[in-house]
Amino acid sequence: MFLAAAVRSAASQAARQVRSLHRSAARAGAGGIFVHRDTPDNNPDIPFEFTEENKKRIDAIISMYPEGHKQAATIPVLDLAQRQHGWLPISAMNKVAEVLEVAPMRVYEVATFYTMFLRQPVGKYFIQICTTTPCMLCNSDSILEAIQNKLGIKVGETTPDKMFTLIEVECLGACVNAPMVQINDNYYEDLTPKDIEDIIDELKAGKIPPPGPRNGRFSCEPAGGLTSLTEPPPGPGFGVRSDL
Amino acid sequence: MAEYANLVRRALGQLGGHGGLRGFLVQFFRANDIKTGTLIGVDKYGNRYYEDKKHYFFARHRWVIYTTEMNGKNTMWEVDGSMVPAEWHRWLHCMTEHPPTTHPPEPKKFLAETHQINVSGTPQQYVPYSTTRKKIHEWVPPKAGAQ
Amino acid sequence: MRTSMLRLPIASRSLIPAAITKGGAAATHNARTAATATAAASNLLEVFVDGKPIMVEPGTTVLQACETAGMQIPRFCYHERLSVAGNCRMCLVEIEKVPKPVAACAMPVMKGWNILTNSDKTRKAREGVMEFLLANHPLDCPICDQGGECDLQDQSMQFGSDRSRFTEGKRAVEDKNIGPLIKTIMTRCIQCTRCVRFASEIAGVEDLGTTGRGNDLQIGTYVEKMFMSELSGNVIDICPVGALTSKPYAFTARPWETRKTETIDVLDAVGSNIVVSTRGGEVMRILPRLNEDINEEWISDKTRFAYDGLKRQRLTQPMVKNESGQLVSTSWEDVLTRAAGALQGVEGNDVAAVVGGLVDAEALVSLKDLLNRLNSENLCTEEVFPMTGAGSDLRSNYLLNTGIAGIEEADLVLLVGTNPRYEAPLFNARIRKGWLHNELQVALVGKEVDLSYTYDHLGESAKILQEIASGNHPFSQVLAKAKHPVVVVGSSCLQREDGAAIMAAVSTIAQNARVSSGVDETWKVLNVLHRVASQVAALDLGYKPGVEAIRKNPPKVLFLLGADAGCITRQDLPKDSLIIYQGHHGDVGAPMADIILPGAAYTEKCGTYVNTEGRAQQTKVAVTPPGLAREDWKIIRAISELSGVTLPYDTIDEVRDRLAEVSPNLVRYDDVEEANYFKQANELSKAVNQAVLTEPLVPPQLTVRDFYMTDPISRASQTMAKCVKAVTEGAQAVDEPAIC
Repeated sequence: MFLAAAVRSAASQAARQVRSLHRSAARAGAGGIFVHRDTPDNNPDIPFEFTEENKKRIDAIISMYPEGHKQAATIPVLDLAQRQHGWLPISAMNKVAEVLEVAPMRVYEVATFYTMFLRQPVGKYFIQICTTTPCMLCNSDSILEAIQNKLGIKVGETTPDKMFTLIEVECLGACVNAPMVQINDNYYEDLTPKDIEDIIDELKAGKIPPPGPRNGRFSCEPAGGLTSLTEPPPGPGFGVRSDL
Repeated sequence: MAEYANLVRRALGQLGGHGGLRGFLVQFFRANDIKTGTLIGVDKYGNRYYEDKKHYFFARHRWVIYTTEMNGKNTMWEVDGSMVPAEWHRWLHCMTEHPPTTHPPEPKKFLAETHQINVSGTPQQYVPYSTTRKKIHEWVPPKAGAQ
Repeated sequence: MRTSMLRLPIASRSLIPAAITKGGAAATHNARTAATATAAASNLLEVFVDGKPIMVEPGTTVLQACETAGMQIPRFCYHERLSVAGNCRMCLVEIEKVPKPVAACAMPVMKGWNILTNSDKTRKAREGVMEFLLANHPLDCPICDQGGECDLQDQSMQFGSDRSRFTEGKRAVEDKNIGPLIKTIMTRCIQCTRCVRFASEIAGVEDLGTTGRGNDLQIGTYVEKMFMSELSGNVIDICPVGALTSKPYAFTARPWETRKTETIDVLDAVGSNIVVSTRGGEVMRILPRLNEDINEEWISDKTRFAYDGLKRQRLTQPMVKNESGQLVSTSWEDVLTRAAGALQGVEGNDVAAVVGGLVDAEALVSLKDLLNRLNSENLCTEEVFPMTGAGSDLRSNYLLNTGIAGIEEADLVLLVGTNPRYEAPLFNARIRKGWLHNELQVALVGKEVDLSYTYDHLGESAKILQEIASGNHPFSQVLAKAKHPVVVVGSSCLQREDGAAIMAAVSTIAQNARVSSGVDETWKVLNVLHRVASQVAALDLGYKPGVEAIRKNPPKVLFLLGADAGCITRQDLPKDSLIIYQGHHGDVGAPMADIILPGAAYTEKCGTYVNTEGRAQQTKVAVTPPGLAREDWKIIRAISELSGVTLPYDTIDEVRDRLAEVSPNLVRYDDVEEANYFKQANELSKAVNQAVLTEPLVPPQLTVRDFYMTDPISRASQTMAKCVKAVTEGAQAVDEPAIC
């Protein structure tokens, strides 16, 4: 009995000592860490150059802002760099700073602030699955499980062939079509586990499946058909006094 | 009467027992004492050990007259208690009744061959190294001709 | 930003705060109407701080208004010399009839506002903000170096709650290695971004920034990188918490156990005001002291971190060379008799003296008096200054006449052969301030260097100066249009053989610019930027600049007073000549001396220094000279007595009386003596040989690497050595194992 008391007190003492470690969503998936560490595939010595096409685009972007405010173009030019390279290596950020004539640190600040700037390598198809409450209620967990089983990766991982990267994100603003995933720029909505498997198969086959709801809805209209505005709109004079 | 005669005899013995006037003065100034006693022994360094159990009370009854030169050091006037070697030390401090002359000490490996005098207060003394950081590091001039 | 503040609508409505009317005291009412009357006249706004009316300029922020009224508002991110960020929210105050508490640092006042700095709502807002700040701040004050001088600690005691409702774990942030000077414990950071703003606005090095967002926001360089600025140490002072602390000072002392001595710095010619913190006779650290005319509240890294050089390579005992040529320690009696004996036997040109860059004016005047009594005029400084033309006869010819603060008013600065960023970092910070806020235009003749602001590079050759002077260069037109032109010539380019010609050209440029700009007589155009602290005082006292005279006429006895630039070597002197070195460091001068007299460094003596503006300032005794070292003028006084030419002063006051006799400006402390004889100097300079060399003007300190070790103290400093290593090999080369 004495021993049991001792064990209990030791256990409660230990429990008090163990602190929960803080982990934010950013750290868990989208953002990664907020310092740069040189790796073989991401270091300042790897050259990065915009394509001729993109250089023209940059000129067009910069011309939208007044003289001496090139810095304002940081976000669009970073986005351009990311679209060109697939993700945003440190040399691309340095290049953007060079193009915009600002200190590299000012570009790093912007790139680390926005989770849509991917500072770590990702696969060709970047799958972002929403698991926030509305999607979760519509069983987004089954979608997540389906993706994981299909691709054999866990959240935050990339397939060995560098085709797919899966991350879990917070609300993407398509709650009415829950559950949904975003693959690169496309939203795939009203999914069932089978739908997402089909989508992945198509992507593997090199095709881009059409974005949008998968349950036959055109857009975000009510799933069970219209509940209001079901009749044609009344013509002129509707509701006006008959004697007028 | 007889005790006065003894007193006088002892006084005369102490005055004359050190080898004349010079010896008396040397004894007086070196040891601050002129008492005489039985010579129990002399150690290898020349320290002489005396005893007189009859006239002196306990602890005053054994004494040493130090040698004048020990381990190459002139000890005529600079004497030190640590000049007494270990085997005589126990007899002198009344730890035993047996002087090393009659009972030679058992040889021990920790006993020094040559007794060392205490070096405290001399340049050979042990000084613990300082554990504090030096506040000022002075410049050490380069050795001449080093350049 | 400032302009936008000024353009805020000046409220025409006269809001009379309810509280005041309710307060109902007739006296207040009268005071208010009177104040309103003056407001109408002078365009001032009337606001109330806790019901007390004050008049402020339109565009004043709430925080500044409260400050004017004598109310301190707690703040972390706001710093009066930096732009307003408004992100710490600690300065929230309630304003009457405004629904929510406002951030006082960023909100301009409106007419009639009653700012409540101690209302329940204000107090509650502060308490709430403090609770949030402490939610992620580690409670490691006992092991934090900022403890005792921490804004967060003080303000949480004063304004914070006594408990927190946060039981969650705290955020932890990785520490950054930004060099051997600044230690980062980023978990303690409260993201006030003062350091980021300091780096980009004052230092001009955009290395620091905020990465990430929300709870994960952190301050750093993103890439592994050293914060490479000559002013980097100031972020330690402006950091309100213990996130940025001093690496050399780490875990050595607490602020309450140090003794502070207000003194000045002598490692460059700016004469920054500093506070020396000492404990147990040891300099623990050096901090800046506010002086709007010189260094504002910043100091350079050399000033701040070279103090460990004061503890190394010191001369602590008199030394003489023995028969075998080895320097051995001896007593003062011995060296003084030897030195005096040597001086007794010589006269006139057989004795000469060279003084270095860290010598105080007291020592300079006593040495000069001593040698003058031996009929010698061979007193030289190591720094060269052209003596043909006006030379050092006209004081305005060798001073930074515009003044360091005066640069802020200038609209055009022409820098000649100088790199102020490393020769005088705080002067450069002023130029940058003008460049940033006052449309100051900068041009440079000389080697192209990074000055932390943009400038027109006119070329490297001195020929260009002559073209500008004669009006043939396109820049002459720019110069002619300037309203407040300034020309700054670096002392290093006057060291050349054609220094006089350069000086003449610069003088002509300055004179032309003055005439064309039409500024009044008090505006000064010509400036000389010195690099060492003692030069102006030496020139004031009549020392000859440059050791050329000694080389031509080698003396039998040479007295080196802190001369460590290596201008003169044994090879320049006859074999049997005797060299006496007096100084505080065993550097370049000491090894070649026959007799070494240990002197005191600038933290150990009460000495007068004149900065490059001509401003006399004094150092104070912070610690005693180490070992047997003594104050320099006392040593010279002792030698004089033994050599039979006793100098007539026994106390520092009497020496200063003598200084006043020679040059009264030397004892008018903290004042700049007017010097204004540019026209005459220009006339005199026309007589000199105008031929200039074709070599480019290259200042000796080009990059930050050259900045750290320039004098005996900084050369002895290990911190400065680490900086040089970090700059050349990268910050990780001197990375020490983290203790905490």
